[in-house]
Amino acid sequence: MHEFSVTKSILDLCVQEARKNGLKRVKKIIVKLGKFTGFSAEAISFYFTSLEAGTVCAGARLVFVEIPIRIKCPKCGFEGQIEEPIFVCPECKGERLDLVSGREFYIESIEGN
Amino acid sequence: MKKISILKPVLVSNQERARENRKFFDRLGSLVINVIAAPGAGKTSVIESLGRRLKSEYKILVIEGDIRGSLDSARIKKLKIDAIQINTVTACHLDAFMIGKVLPRIRKKYDLILIENVGNLVCPAEFEIGEDFKLAILSTAEGDDKPLKYPLLFHLARVAVINKRDLLPHVDFDPRRAKKEIRKRNPRAVIFEVSAKTGAGFDPFVEFMKKELRKKR
Repeated sequence: MHEFSVTKSILDLCVQEARKNGLKRVKKIIVKLGKFTGFSAEAISFYFTSLEAGTVCAGARLVFVEIPIRIKCPKCGFEGQIEEPIFVCPECKGERLDLVSGREFYIESIEGN
Repeated sequence: MKKISILKPVLVSNQERARENRKFFDRLGSLVINVIAAPGAGKTSVIESLGRRLKSEYKILVIEGDIRGSLDSARIKKLKIDAIQINTVTACHLDAFMIGKVLPRIRKKYDLILIENVGNLVCPAEFEIGEDFKLAILSTAEGDDKPLKYPLLFHLARVAVINKRDLLPHVDFDPRRAKKEIRKRNPRAVIFEVSAKTGAGFDPFVEFMKKELRKKR
């Protein structure tokens, strides 16, 4: 996946929010990234270093919080984390599972002054 | 140091644009399908086969996404089916903005809009474009382990079409394994095994499509 365009989106969003909240410099950006997305934290960090220069986010620490894949089984009530995106209940083998988390990709917060 | 809570999806602008596209399609009353597959799996061929069988009863538009060229849209137009070509030039997937840009060119109330995404199993899965559902195509020449390697697409796709079944005698592809692996990522997936080349397997697929089209009416 070429993370260039999503990295630009992250940067643009942070610059916008910094301006809105009167931040002159962004020191830290926290991004929540679900394990079941097509995006890579490493690739985003890589593009970030080339895009941040000259913006209010230059030098900011980009922190990724990985969100695991959690499923809930409406049949037996099992709720838990799965490592592989295989949608079969580990308890009752039921196949109607709800995805509780794992598809997130959002900017949680920015810190600065 | 100030900490500002943002809680905004990174793809928020794409999602917003996709919702706008969706509103446009809803006003037309069109069933919109995002067709995603690896290069060479047979997206255009499957769309041609489907188009041939549905065009007498339904008004169809095909939106073709390719890096460059208009080869695919030319093929569709040859069947007397309307087609719009999008060249992404550098992008490996269609996004909601690219679809948004061609909406002003859609002048008829199409029953069915098939959007052929750029050949790629990774990125298109992440970018909503305003579709009703995603349709993944996997060809027998690609290996039956594709659902393991590209779980996100197979998890999100409502329909999975296994194409090139005419090649089964010549390739190492176990359709039962492929279907099992698809269902592990999406137990509710509707799966068809076809050959766009010979026409085999299209009857149930066409029946399914007609059922979906009737739902829209």
